[in-house]
Amino acid sequence: MSGTAAVYQKEMATYFRSPIAYYVVAVFLLGSGYFFLYNIFLGGETAMAGTFQNMGILLLTLAPVISMRLLAAEYNAGTAELLLTLPLAPWQIVLGKFLGAVTILLLIIAGTLVDLIPLYLFGTPESTTILAGYIGFLLLGMACLAVGQLFSTLTHNQIVAALLSAAVLLGFWFVGHLQTFQASPGVRSLVAYLSFSLHFTDFIQGLVRSEGVVFYLVIAAISLTLSAGYLQWRR
Amino acid sequence: MSASAVISLESVSKRYGTRTVIHDLSFEVAKGEIVGFLGPNGAGKTTTMRMIAGFTAATAGRVMVAGRDMAIDNVEAAGLIGYLPERPPLYDTLDVSAYLRFVAKAKAIPRASRRREIERVASACHLEAVLDDEIFKLSKGYRQRLGLAQALLGDPQVLLLDEPTAGLDPGQIHETREVIRSIGAEHAVLLSTHILAEVTLICRRVAIINHGRLLAIDSPSGLQRAVEETNQVALQVTAEAAPLREALLAVDGVRSVDIRADSGLAGVLTVECHVDAHEGVEAAIARAVAGRWDLHRLERRQPTLENVFLRYVREAA
Repeated sequence: MSGTAAVYQKEMATYFRSPIAYYVVAVFLLGSGYFFLYNIFLGGETAMAGTFQNMGILLLTLAPVISMRLLAAEYNAGTAELLLTLPLAPWQIVLGKFLGAVTILLLIIAGTLVDLIPLYLFGTPESTTILAGYIGFLLLGMACLAVGQLFSTLTHNQIVAALLSAAVLLGFWFVGHLQTFQASPGVRSLVAYLSFSLHFTDFIQGLVRSEGVVFYLVIAAISLTLSAGYLQWRR
Repeated sequence: MSASAVISLESVSKRYGTRTVIHDLSFEVAKGEIVGFLGPNGAGKTTTMRMIAGFTAATAGRVMVAGRDMAIDNVEAAGLIGYLPERPPLYDTLDVSAYLRFVAKAKAIPRASRRREIERVASACHLEAVLDDEIFKLSKGYRQRLGLAQALLGDPQVLLLDEPTAGLDPGQIHETREVIRSIGAEHAVLLSTHILAEVTLICRRVAIINHGRLLAIDSPSGLQRAVEETNQVALQVTAEAAPLREALLAVDGVRSVDIRADSGLAGVLTVECHVDAHEGVEAAIARAVAGRWDLHRLERRQPTLENVFLRYVREAA
């Protein structure tokens, strides 16, 4: 466990000594803040549902920016040669890095809590619905970061890692729309199950369904396991 | 594998796709021994180091470190190995002490002794002055020494140093060699280099590698002899090739003569003589040539690694 902690602490130290974490958090808060103001004051909404929907799409494009450096940068700087020859198991490296990225996600979430102040000041929003939305956002983010980390593990090139993960994440987001074109009910329910956005919509509406929780966690677990497996195999 | 061997390679090969970069390599390093790993760039030194460190796995054969098979137990064995890769593996945005803290923690050095251990390696590598500096601000010499300090953390049994003195100035080279020499008494050290003087100064044995094959394992004195036997004298002379060759071979101490026409100047020949090490050979050559022909240039060449290798290759054939 201390190996995971060592990697995690190193990750956190590097995040806050490079501009990328500040950049991502700032862009996310600017974007979500804009959507929030738009939905509440121009759209007349009195809940977070619309804002959560926008935050989900914003996350899809920004998560790859957080995750792209996770291993690609280590390969490039030659530090992978240290990391992979220290007495650390591949899963410790993968988990320490993942937890570091999730911490940035939590900071983003903390930043968006500011939005709730006017919501509670001027209205009576449903707290459980908002909480469910945040749980969904965290789970969606974990899945996105884990997929992004997998691509960063597979390539030396951070840009390639970001583009590939953004493409795959967008695919997962929109795959639900294929339902319309599928005659077979089996395929219809499969594409619905694989959809990042359909599960997320449940959470936004206040439904924390075990199906959605398990779905995001399984996607994250599969991606992280593949990353660790690749680190072992690439030797 | 002999009982005292801490590092042992048994018929190790490494292939990337269809390209074989290491062919059937076997050697051992014992405790208390500094073994030099000498070869030109591209000889396979770094690949071999990486296999011993567990960064890459051998395609065939077995790499053992302290009795552990690096193909299976590499994570466990990693705790016994300090590794300085060819390019020091530094996180540019961290400061020096944060970097050393990370490595110390990853090496599972107990919290109580971590600070003392960091001070020890920082002092051994003369890093005290830069402990609070960010790594990207460090000079090349400091970067190299920080890479070495990281390898020394936790006092590992095995040290793998890939060109540890690259990028250092002469004073730093001397200090770094002293650090390595002092470690060598208690540890098994494998030190790769393409600098002849380095191995003859601090190593007990030298493994000589070229094109991924082990050419010889020799003592530094054996290597020194090989070096001396590859002395060369180069000349530029306006002469006829045949009589010049005859005259040069008649000089005592000249072993062989290689004559080429100089492409730039008509009638001028470029000559390379392989000579014995003893003093005065170039003077004798000068006397033999200058009396009969126009001698434009005469130069005693320092033996190069390539020539030393050629000699070992010839010996192996």
